[in-house]
Amino acid sequence: MKKLESRTVVIIGGGLTAGLVSRQLTAQGIDVLVLERGGDHTKGAEAKLPTQRDELRWDTHQGLAQDYGVQTYTLRYTSKESALPVRWMEAFLPGEGLGGAANHWNGHTWRWSEYDPQLRTHHEQRYGKKAIPADMPLQDWGVTYKEMEPYHHLFEKLFGIAGKAGNINGQIQPGGNPFEAPRRDDFPLKPLEITEAGIVFKGAAEKLGYKPFPTPAANASAPYTNPDGQKLGQCQYCGHCERFICEAQAKASPEVLLYPMLKQRKGFEARLNCHVLGINYDSKAKRVTGVHYVDLLTGTEYEQPAEVVMLGAFTMTNSKLLLTSRIGKPYDAASNTGVVGKNFCYQINSGVTLFMKDRWFNPFFATGSTQMYMDEYNNDNFDHSGLGFFGGGGINCSMFKGRPIGSRNVPPGTPNWGTAWKKANADWYVHSMAMGIQGSCYPHRENYLSLDPTYTDAYGQPLIRMTFDWRDNEQKMARFVAGKLSEVAHAAGADIVGPAAPRAAPFDIRQYQSTHITGGTPMGTDPRTSVVSPHLQHWDAHNLFVVGASVYPHNSGYNPTGPLSALALRLGDDMVKYVQHPQML
Amino acid sequence: MNRKNTVAIVLAAAAVCIGLNAQAQDAAAGKAVFAQCASCHTTDGSPLVGPSLQGIAGRASGSFGGFRYSRALKSANITWDDAHLDAFIANPQTVVPGNVMPFSGIADAKQRTNLIAYLKTLK
Repeated sequence: MKKLESRTVVIIGGGLTAGLVSRQLTAQGIDVLVLERGGDHTKGAEAKLPTQRDELRWDTHQGLAQDYGVQTYTLRYTSKESALPVRWMEAFLPGEGLGGAANHWNGHTWRWSEYDPQLRTHHEQRYGKKAIPADMPLQDWGVTYKEMEPYHHLFEKLFGIAGKAGNINGQIQPGGNPFEAPRRDDFPLKPLEITEAGIVFKGAAEKLGYKPFPTPAANASAPYTNPDGQKLGQCQYCGHCERFICEAQAKASPEVLLYPMLKQRKGFEARLNCHVLGINYDSKAKRVTGVHYVDLLTGTEYEQPAEVVMLGAFTMTNSKLLLTSRIGKPYDAASNTGVVGKNFCYQINSGVTLFMKDRWFNPFFATGSTQMYMDEYNNDNFDHSGLGFFGGGGINCSMFKGRPIGSRNVPPGTPNWGTAWKKANADWYVHSMAMGIQGSCYPHRENYLSLDPTYTDAYGQPLIRMTFDWRDNEQKMARFVAGKLSEVAHAAGADIVGPAAPRAAPFDIRQYQSTHITGGTPMGTDPRTSVVSPHLQHWDAHNLFVVGASVYPHNSGYNPTGPLSALALRLGDDMVKYVQHPQML
Repeated sequence: MNRKNTVAIVLAAAAVCIGLNAQAQDAAAGKAVFAQCASCHTTDGSPLVGPSLQGIAGRASGSFGGFRYSRALKSANITWDDAHLDAFIANPQTVVPGNVMPFSGIADAKQRTNLIAYLKTLK
């Protein structure tokens, strides 16, 4: 294996977090190398018209996602079962290529609830110390919302987030989210246009006394220049965000706002088509010494020494590389010891379809984040006393696409094929809309990641094994919130309302649910229950940092991008300090 | 109505608008309007997502060196004079159907006039 010249900071994975951390580091003149397994999408067919609109290629065939012929995951529902490999994943979409999964995201950009980083303490204070079930390892993050707020603020300015503030310095703002964590000012851009479906949802929710508001969006509602001088174009409402790259430069993404700027900065290098095989760990010195990777274009393997390593790959890969590199103790569910792979969470989402023959929803006029939301039943925004579960979900109306293959809303009872199916499509395509729930998922002792003992990837390394299912807590919560969703749906005055079916076990990877998988390398204050410190520094190697949704100890009823971006910007500042004075932060 | 007639009518309408607004052209105001273009088009001759707009006024369509134009623009055979610029900015797909600029146009005639005044300063 050829040994390369040492670099100051080496980052594994060229996605959103790598871009944000690199922004902070290179601004201080620190040398950064990003290793990305995929290529550069910016000038490709995926990033321009007319090929960008190829639904079959980018959506159905997942042209921007990980190649499952090279690397996949295995799944089992309980520790007693043998896992089987997922041959084709629909549930979530790991990205590949510079920009990562943030190339094909929809753009929903939340600050989580103010209490989310103190979720354990919050529940103990509100419901008593004994209220949290023994099999639900909720834990505090070791960082407060207040400490993250400046970085949320910076991220929203960098990415030109469009929205309506609900809480400015404690003052509730009409039209915004009354449950929002306090923010210092309004969003940099005004909210996106509300769709016809959003208007129907708003009317129904308000009729029931709720306070719906537009989802904060990374789809620019107007042209925008960020504090770095990087520009966004105005969103054209074409309905090709999620699973696509925005050809109008209107969806804030690392390949639009971060990497073009970083490439101009001295000391920054993004090395593409480089698949990292492992992190080199000196267990005696408790330090990492670099990484080794394979150049996918030549097949050559390299050792890349580094003073500091940051792990910023997709959630699953963060756990995998720690496990294959034997850094930190693997989590063992039976003895409830170890940490790597624990607190693996997802999101429990449910939905209902409405049909209104006199309303023209025109679903093709949409952006990824044209969504109205209500937070009354999200997380711990309501009293859970006596309910028998914790957590909740945001009830929403998201009209984000009307694409020909995937947009097929037909009333219940319609045959799955034939003349009647075709007629129902023609009758209802523009006259149907959906409401949904984005539900939290709290950790369960039996939901975790580990290395599969049987199946390997194309490089001969073990696959990551998910032991995961919807446990009682999430199913009870989904049933409760689906009941509330049903009330909103029936208040809309639709001709036909489908059943508001709560999602239930077993976990089904054949249906897209969200790319919001979290955990595996949780952060926390106790090395016995967390992989990284509140500063995202590995407890067993102080020159190794981990960031991304993998550090969340639980998942909230919001999209994960906001807090992980705030954490990444904060980590960038912490790593500057670390490079100057290497020590436990 | 065939395509040629549509274009002719659009251009005639555009010419009227330009006539009305001729006195009110404001390149400085046009620079602000240009913010809508700036994420894809530079003004200094360097390439970005779209062709640079330096020297656009009076340029032949589809002629910015090194840019890979759509078939529609390659064969459009237009000179970017005021009338064509105005009609194109108002509704790009009407003037050059099938072009691949992902922009739906600027409806406000005064904004277009100012924008064109600004584009003419890019030499």
